[in-house]
Amino acid sequence: MQLWRRKSLWLALSASWLLILLGVFPLLRVAVPTKPQPRAPLGWPQWLDTELLQGFSQPEDLLEDDTQPSPVPHKGSCDWGTCFDTSKCRGSDFKVFVYPAAGPISEMHCRLLASLEGSRYHTSSPTEACLLLLLSSNNHARGCSMTVPLEWNGGRNHLLLHLHPAPCPWTVQLGQAIVAEANPPVNTFRPGFDVALPLLPDNHPFRGGAPGQLQRHSPHPRVALLALAQERGGWHIAGTNSSACPWAGHCEQDPGSKQTQPGTAIPNATFCLIPGRHPGALHFLQALQAGCIPVLLSPEWELPFSEVIDWTKAAIIADERLPLQVLAALQEMPPSKVLALRQQTQFLWDAYFSSVEKVIYTTLEIIQDRILGASAHPSQLWNSPPGALLALPTFSTNPSDFPFYHLQQGSHLVGRFSALIWVGALSQPPLKLIQAVAGSQYCAQVLILWSSERPPPLKWPETAVPLTVIDGHGKVSARFFPYSAISTDAVLSLDAHSSLSTSEVDFAFVVWQSFPERMVGFLTWSHFWDEARGDWGYTAEKANEFSMVHTSAAFYHRYYHTLFTHSLPKALRTLADETPTCVDVLMNFLVAAVTKLPPIKVPCRKQQQEARPLVAPGAAKPKLAPLAGRDCISQVAAGFGHMPLVSSRLRLDPVLFKDPVSVLRKKYRHLEKG
Amino acid sequence: MCASVKYNIRGPALIPRMKTKHRIYYITLFSIVLLGLIATGMFQFWPHSIESSSDWNVEKRSIRDVPVVHLPADSPVPERGDLSCRMHTCFDVYRCGFNPKNKIKVYIYALKKYVDDLGVPVGNTISREYNELLTAISDSDYYTDDISRACLFVPSIDVLNQNTLRIKETAQALAQLSRWDRGTNHLLFNMLPGGPPDYNTALDVPRDRALLAGGGFSTWTYRQGYDVSIPVYSPLSAEVNLPEKGPGLRQYFLLSSQMGLHAEYREDLEALQAKHGNSVLVLDKCTNLSEGVVSIRKRCHKHQVFDYPQVLQEATFCVVLRGARLGQAVLSDVLRAGCVPVIIADSYVLPFSEVLDWKRASVMVPEDKMSEVYSILQSTPQRQIEEMQRQARWFWEAYFQSIKAIALATLQIINDRIYPYAAISYEDWNDPPAVKWSSVSNPLFLPLIPPQSQGFTAIVLTYDRVESLFRVITEVSKVPSLSKLLVVWNNQNKNPPEESLWPKIRVPLKVVRTAENKLSNRFFPYDEIETEAVLAIDDDIIMLTSDELQFGYEVWREFPDRLVGYPGRLHLWDHEMSKWKYESEWTNEVSMVLTGAAFYHKYFNYLYTYKMPGDIKNWVDAHMNCEDIAMNFLVANITGKAVIKVTPRKKFKCPECTAIDGLSLDQTHMVERSECINKFASVFGTMPLKVVEHRADPVLYKDDFPEKLKSFPNIGSL
Repeated sequence: MQLWRRKSLWLALSASWLLILLGVFPLLRVAVPTKPQPRAPLGWPQWLDTELLQGFSQPEDLLEDDTQPSPVPHKGSCDWGTCFDTSKCRGSDFKVFVYPAAGPISEMHCRLLASLEGSRYHTSSPTEACLLLLLSSNNHARGCSMTVPLEWNGGRNHLLLHLHPAPCPWTVQLGQAIVAEANPPVNTFRPGFDVALPLLPDNHPFRGGAPGQLQRHSPHPRVALLALAQERGGWHIAGTNSSACPWAGHCEQDPGSKQTQPGTAIPNATFCLIPGRHPGALHFLQALQAGCIPVLLSPEWELPFSEVIDWTKAAIIADERLPLQVLAALQEMPPSKVLALRQQTQFLWDAYFSSVEKVIYTTLEIIQDRILGASAHPSQLWNSPPGALLALPTFSTNPSDFPFYHLQQGSHLVGRFSALIWVGALSQPPLKLIQAVAGSQYCAQVLILWSSERPPPLKWPETAVPLTVIDGHGKVSARFFPYSAISTDAVLSLDAHSSLSTSEVDFAFVVWQSFPERMVGFLTWSHFWDEARGDWGYTAEKANEFSMVHTSAAFYHRYYHTLFTHSLPKALRTLADETPTCVDVLMNFLVAAVTKLPPIKVPCRKQQQEARPLVAPGAAKPKLAPLAGRDCISQVAAGFGHMPLVSSRLRLDPVLFKDPVSVLRKKYRHLEKG
Repeated sequence: MCASVKYNIRGPALIPRMKTKHRIYYITLFSIVLLGLIATGMFQFWPHSIESSSDWNVEKRSIRDVPVVHLPADSPVPERGDLSCRMHTCFDVYRCGFNPKNKIKVYIYALKKYVDDLGVPVGNTISREYNELLTAISDSDYYTDDISRACLFVPSIDVLNQNTLRIKETAQALAQLSRWDRGTNHLLFNMLPGGPPDYNTALDVPRDRALLAGGGFSTWTYRQGYDVSIPVYSPLSAEVNLPEKGPGLRQYFLLSSQMGLHAEYREDLEALQAKHGNSVLVLDKCTNLSEGVVSIRKRCHKHQVFDYPQVLQEATFCVVLRGARLGQAVLSDVLRAGCVPVIIADSYVLPFSEVLDWKRASVMVPEDKMSEVYSILQSTPQRQIEEMQRQARWFWEAYFQSIKAIALATLQIINDRIYPYAAISYEDWNDPPAVKWSSVSNPLFLPLIPPQSQGFTAIVLTYDRVESLFRVITEVSKVPSLSKLLVVWNNQNKNPPEESLWPKIRVPLKVVRTAENKLSNRFFPYDEIETEAVLAIDDDIIMLTSDELQFGYEVWREFPDRLVGYPGRLHLWDHEMSKWKYESEWTNEVSMVLTGAAFYHKYFNYLYTYKMPGDIKNWVDAHMNCEDIAMNFLVANITGKAVIKVTPRKKFKCPECTAIDGLSLDQTHMVERSECINKFASVFGTMPLKVVEHRADPVLYKDDFPEKLKSFPNIGSL
């Protein structure tokens, strides 16, 4: 018995061993599926009879029948094709009529009217207008009542501009009117018809506006990764090393790694988290201005100007349901992407959001683009500096025609220039100058802008390049009119009094080709803040820096002629006509406002700097010039709303300029004479 | 093995206690063990269900053998589509979870044949195109066969053409899918929606929350940011071989090739033809052709017969007019022919309009402006037409050409919504390869002059020339804008001098020791660099004056995206040898600056260390030379801009090395440097260096002006 017991026990033991060996390993294999045998994923099968399968459509499906194509039903809603009458917007003229305010006129309304009146859009007749603009009142006391104007016509071709979020629903039947309002809810927004505006603070500047606050391209290595928008306003800066999720209500965060900055109006962080539920918050614009990359969590409102602005280049629209995933993605984002997003926020802020005027013009420009169709701004013009407000589609729709996009386009400039010589009232035909300029190997043509009362001479000097005389009508601003005769990208603007040598022209042009968006000039001025007068002033005295170049001898892109004539407010152009010195200042302001960069100075021979008249020839009393000039710069600065001029401390010289080496080595040796 | 030893040890110890146990106990134990053995054996040798199913799948099967599913007449029907659906309301993003590759996982349901109670099929089992589409998804990176890990589900129920299916029954079939859950995260593909008489612009099959990739959406049915608008595939894409034709003006300015147009539209078009003569051609189906000829491939104008789609290549603009449906397969044919589509279909949501910029490839004309089409088109400049033709062809190649292209673009769009931070950019979607190649996107594109207060960090690379190093430190520390000094100690065999021996300077001085003596260490993006501006300076550059360095920094501020250096060098094409040559003679041109002393943005350190193309970085470290040329190449290539040479400085004279600065050494040096240029040019695949004829000097440099009033009076000479 004992033996049998022992035997059976041993048997049982050995059998259980077998069991373990046989059983455990396969069981393990089943129980731990984390290390499966590498096997090909089981894909969609390859059918034996693929050849026999029928196509999804038969020819008759594609042909359809001659049924009446019924208009697509649309339940009373609007889209561009059905609700906007483009027949009133003939040609390139996009005219806007602004309704006068009903009742007491608000300051905003007043300034808007004034601004539009000076712009290229303005018309004073509602019948010839393509778009009728109705500025909704922000007067809370009176409710949201709006008087329906006479020309309402069901709202057709009307734009209801609501710069501040509506405190109550629209009282007028909107009908076919385009609604432009701040942070419109996604559900009621009609894409391609309505325009989404940014939510502007009450004290947003009307014109000019604060520049972006980004001072570095790349973030400081020790700056916080995240700033969180707080519901009561302000920002909460999360620590740089916050690995815990920073969402309130989602998880708790180590209190040591954060510093609350109550009332921080401007976030100092790389990313700014903005919840999508509170359309009333101003966080989005604050982040843009600060150069803090907005991370929008499931926004329930349409992003401003989303029709044209590619927000994926400047913001991250993430799903609020995946906070940890978003955080991980932000932490791992490659520096190149962070760099690009940061810069884009600043560009967008400066181009479209920094002032009320820009917001309104952007809205109009979007509607104009819809009308223009194929000749509207290409997307690149909207989404890269200097932005669509400064790149007019009436000039060209091809980005490589503009001075800004050559690198992005991989295109090249035409290696020639047109010399445009302005002959003022008292001037003699500049025969010597024509010879010198036409002698340049890069000169394509000489254009004489004859503004003198005397008739132009019948005979001009023989030149190697064609010479054309254009009637200048005596107006100073005509200097910068986009004459169709200008056939090259580069323009060399000259006065009859200028004196340049061929060598100077050659070198300046070669330099300009490296900086086609800037002005390249010989004589410079610098602006300064006059503490005593509390105003801007400028001087032609020799200084260590400069911010303007004299257009009596300067290279620039012909596009600036178009911009000067079509985008500057009328008041400023009139100012230039009345005070001829101003035309230089104005042109410099314009180019600086577009490029945000200083002009470029190239060397010129010494005596010219001193002999140069302070005012443009044609002005009768040069002695009055300094005072007039001062007034000019302050008036122009007021017209722009800010001071765009940027100073430079360098001059570009030929590589061997004035070096103690043999003159024979030097390509531009004539530059050093005198 | 370990376990068995334990057991044996424990075994004998157990036996004495067993004595008292009952006999039945052993019998029970024995039988349990025996049963276990048998069970294990069975488990071992039983065919595994998973493996068997894979065998079943891999083997080629016939469509006719797919399992049949009977749908009871009263099985549930999903709700109609919810028009308010958006990704963050109707899409279950949790299923997609965290994914290091940022790629969604797509599951395809197995193919089944659905029949109703009477055994009548619900629709075509599967069409050729839908089979191709599912094959394409299955072959892509998105595919998963694990239903529990999938983020997106694609039913194998074919709804490409609404005409081939029964609406209610198809909806019932969808509703009984195993993970249907109101259609959440399900994607349906439909190209021909609606049917007579009213031709809805979206699929009529009730589908609840399912996403619809549809051809022919109108703005009223399209849920922006949720649905995907796709093309109507043209079967001719695969059937006809049509060689590419370059852009340019063609025989016909405007062509209409569609058959079965509504009479009113046809009248409008024919009026255009009457007005503009031979430049407009309006074609129709051929009525008098003999039987047997494929009429879909022929078009007629009066008695003239044209081959289709070849005739599209003879036209500059081609009309794509809506029929009863908004989406038309002819769009695909037109794009392929490089003909600019003139789309006349109000409220039509163009294919992939979420990502494709159709303004670049087409002209949209409102239906009521049809009579003015010709004049609208005529105002388009020639260059723009050619651009549009190229773009049209590129759209076809990338997104219309095959069912696969359509399927992958659709999934990419959905993927980009779920992983927005890894989304493909506008340029990636829209720029044709030729543009992508030639364009430069400057990483520092924002025109921004950094404030002077930021200052710069000087990085001195040194090995063991301590005395010279200390002199450099002392000199550089005199520059007003210096904010920090970083010494990169590249000598592993020797410790840097003690702290007390270093010169006392007004800014923080930090020594970084490196692990290996490599030239690239000078371009490493050290965390210690807090300023954007970096001054790389060798440990023997003592001739640069404080004014010169400060001016260099000022110049960098005006050109923060460039290399700003002192001595310039030039690359030249040697016609005899047919290769590049390095030039250090006193030339009138500059294309490189030496980084023995140069200002540049810290970001370029990151690029040099992590993004240098090819093996250049290793090559430089191995040769212990040309790191400066590599940096010049890198910066010029990514910014498309030239260097800025500052001040007259032509060479760095180091007093100690004049003795060995012999002619022969100089020549081998030049040969090596030329070799570098050729090597780098071949790695970059192009010559990125830009030649300029200017240098930067202070505004009043060598001007007749009192020296003491100049900002930078002490600019050194050559």
